[in-house]
Amino acid sequence: MSQDILALIKENVVQGRINKEDEGMDEGMEGTPAVMELVQQALTDGIDVQKIINEGLTSGMDIVGQKFEEKEYYIPDMLASAEAVGAAMEMLEPHLASSGVEPKGKILIATVKGDLHDIGKNIVSILLRGAGYLVKDLGNDIDDQTIVDAVKEEQPQFLGLSALLTSTMMHMKDIIKSLNDAGIRDNVKVIVGGAPVSEQFANDIGADGFGADGFQAVSIVQSLGS
Amino acid sequence: MGIIRKGLPGGSFKPLSEQDIEKIHNTVLQVIEEIGFQVNSEDARQYFKQTGASIDEANRIVRLPRKTVMDLISKAPSEFTLYGRDEKNDIHLGGSRVYTGTGGTALYIYNPGSKEKRLASLDDLKKIAKLVGGLDNIHLLLLPTYPSELPVNQIDVNRFYAGLNNTSKHIMGGVYTLEGIENVIKMAEMVAGGKEQLRKRPIISMIACCMSPLKLDEHYADMMIAIAKAGIPLVCPAEPLCGATSPITVAGNVLMQTVDSLMGVLLTQIVNPGTPVIFGSVATSTDLRDLKYLAGSVEMGLTNAGSAQMAQFYKLPFYATGGMTDSKALDSQSGYESAITNMLCALAGSNFIHDSAGLMEFAMTVCLEKYVIDNDILGMVMRAVEGIKVTDETLAFDLIKKVGPAGNFVTSKHTRRHMRSEHYEPTVSDRNLREDWDAEGGQVAWERATILVNQIIESSDYSLPEDTKKTILSQIPGIVV
Ligand code: B12
Repeated sequence: MSQDILALIKENVVQGRINKEDEGMDEGMEGTPAVMELVQQALTDGIDVQKIINEGLTSGMDIVGQKFEEKEYYIPDMLASAEAVGAAMEMLEPHLASSGVEPKGKILIATVKGDLHDIGKNIVSILLRGAGYLVKDLGNDIDDQTIVDAVKEEQPQFLGLSALLTSTMMHMKDIIKSLNDAGIRDNVKVIVGGAPVSEQFANDIGADGFGADGFQAVSIVQSLGS
Repeated sequence: MGIIRKGLPGGSFKPLSEQDIEKIHNTVLQVIEEIGFQVNSEDARQYFKQTGASIDEANRIVRLPRKTVMDLISKAPSEFTLYGRDEKNDIHLGGSRVYTGTGGTALYIYNPGSKEKRLASLDDLKKIAKLVGGLDNIHLLLLPTYPSELPVNQIDVNRFYAGLNNTSKHIMGGVYTLEGIENVIKMAEMVAGGKEQLRKRPIISMIACCMSPLKLDEHYADMMIAIAKAGIPLVCPAEPLCGATSPITVAGNVLMQTVDSLMGVLLTQIVNPGTPVIFGSVATSTDLRDLKYLAGSVEMGLTNAGSAQMAQFYKLPFYATGGMTDSKALDSQSGYESAITNMLCALAGSNFIHDSAGLMEFAMTVCLEKYVIDNDILGMVMRAVEGIKVTDETLAFDLIKKVGPAGNFVTSKHTRRHMRSEHYEPTVSDRNLREDWDAEGGQVAWERATILVNQIIESSDYSLPEDTKKTILSQIPGIVV
């Protein structure tokens, strides 16, 4: 029984279905229970939360990753699955502590002041959620102080900053400086990205990591986190 | 030298039928009336309010009835001229007449003759201006690079000065600050010979973007207002990306581009009715692997051709995007992507094809050699736009009769009379016999282009008159010489 429902969760992650109204990759799935309904069912059935995450969600995402590597899946497929996992994680969050599951970490993300490019940042957010992180997205065109205040308040393990303009990327440096001045630089790992940003630039401004795309964003967070 | 083809009527390629255009148009009006768009500038919302638009202040959403939309569009001029410093470079936008120009704003430039790129500087921009000045099939200079060494408050004046002081072609450019806009206009007035002269013969124009989907940003809307008030021609382009900021379908992308650029057009016509405004498209598709922006896809050509038809339907001058490549080298990909997208835009009758030369790798990098190669692509494209002229003279019955069976046309006057105007003479293409090609070093296209780049830049001696330069440098702050 528990095996069945975990297998179904996994399959629906691969199909990228959040709710039962969703269509999947395959035909005729509309109306059948999807990740949200199945995870709710699993909780009601008393299935171990860690098991739901590992055998349902994460193992589903592993298959999605493989399909993406093999060019069978495109990014919108990948994002659909990541969103399903993100939604499930939100649902599971209140149960994590009582089940003794270590949360993976909280990430605050924003596009800096003066910059309206947010497509890349949104993709990064979805993929990070899909990888099981709790992501708080502040939006775009966010001024330095708001970001620093949010770090104080939310106490995330990571701060992700996105900039696509040479005229706005220096805000990243200023934000890191403000974190330093506020004495909270060591509490948070800062990762940066966006078209004009490079590994070199990230080093120069004293960031902890750089991601050239959404997948690198996930892997850099994973490597810094452990 | 052959003739220069520009402003010829395109329009033979029509990916949309009349019913398609009608259907898109109706949906455009439905989106503006039912869904509305977000206007994040307080001033801009006030302007929309004056037209009786319904405004949802809490969500900053503006909705306009169909009639108001059409009334405002009809206030925008359907034809106007972007002037060059030299009259022969004037560009008469409107109808289905086709012109070309560069585009930007790229961050990097290739080191000449290599695959390596570096940050672009102000000096590079001056060189590009000289180069474009010498390339006949590129009709205006859209300031293509961002000088990386300058702080943002010096960007606008330096970019426009670099353009105005190095070519007599019309200068169009994106702008970054309100103060910059003011100073650039002042500078252009000095070059034009006064306030009125600049309004009469605008030698500059500006770009302020609309945000897809359905959003006018605060800063950009404020810039649109400032430019429209100043009576300077402007473009309000929108950049919907299939699957990212528009529906994934080409039709959905054309729809989104139309609505989004219209937001800017409408605003300018409320602020200053009759403002010369260009309906603009930077619409394109994305890489399905990672949703990144693509600059060389065939769908980009299709969307822009469709949007050209929408512009013609609304009788608005059109700024299209085509001619770029996502390749990192001057290889066959860079050639076919640039050619296909330029060709589709041009045959559809796009008034001004922006980005049509010099841009590579996702519009991030410019390449001097590519300007020269694209100049040839554009020459061929413009020849295709010109089409086939059929008259008694071109059919030449009398001549055929005279030459007769088994004769030849090599020595006929008719051949000499028409050969230069009838056939495009490329500047970079290799048409040598193998032995001659070998003897000249067996160079490939980009190597031949390098030679031309240097020749053209070195032979350029254009600059503003000394006294104009003096006035500008003494009155406009921040210009680096
Ligand atoms: C789409 C776009 C726009 C849209 C943005 C819509 C939106 N909602 O985001 C609009 C039309 C609004 C726009 C406006 C402008 N743009 Co623009 N735009 C682009 C374009 C074509 C694509 C950007 C994009 O979305 N890419 C797709 C996403 C998926 O990729 P990405 O953003 O790079 O994100 C990936 C990685 O970078 C990384 N990443 C991103 N963020 C983060 C964060 C972290 C923490 C990590 C780890 C990783 C990471 O992962 C992402 C996913 O894989 C680029 C060109 C380009 N090749 O990038 C120009 C570009 C960025 N724009 C440019 C310019 C000049 C402008 C304007 C100034 C134009 C003007 N003159 O008005 C305005 C500025 C507006 C503003 N104030 O921000 C220039 C920048 C040049 C410069 N000097 O800096 C570019 C490079 C184009 C060009 N060559 O001219 N633009």
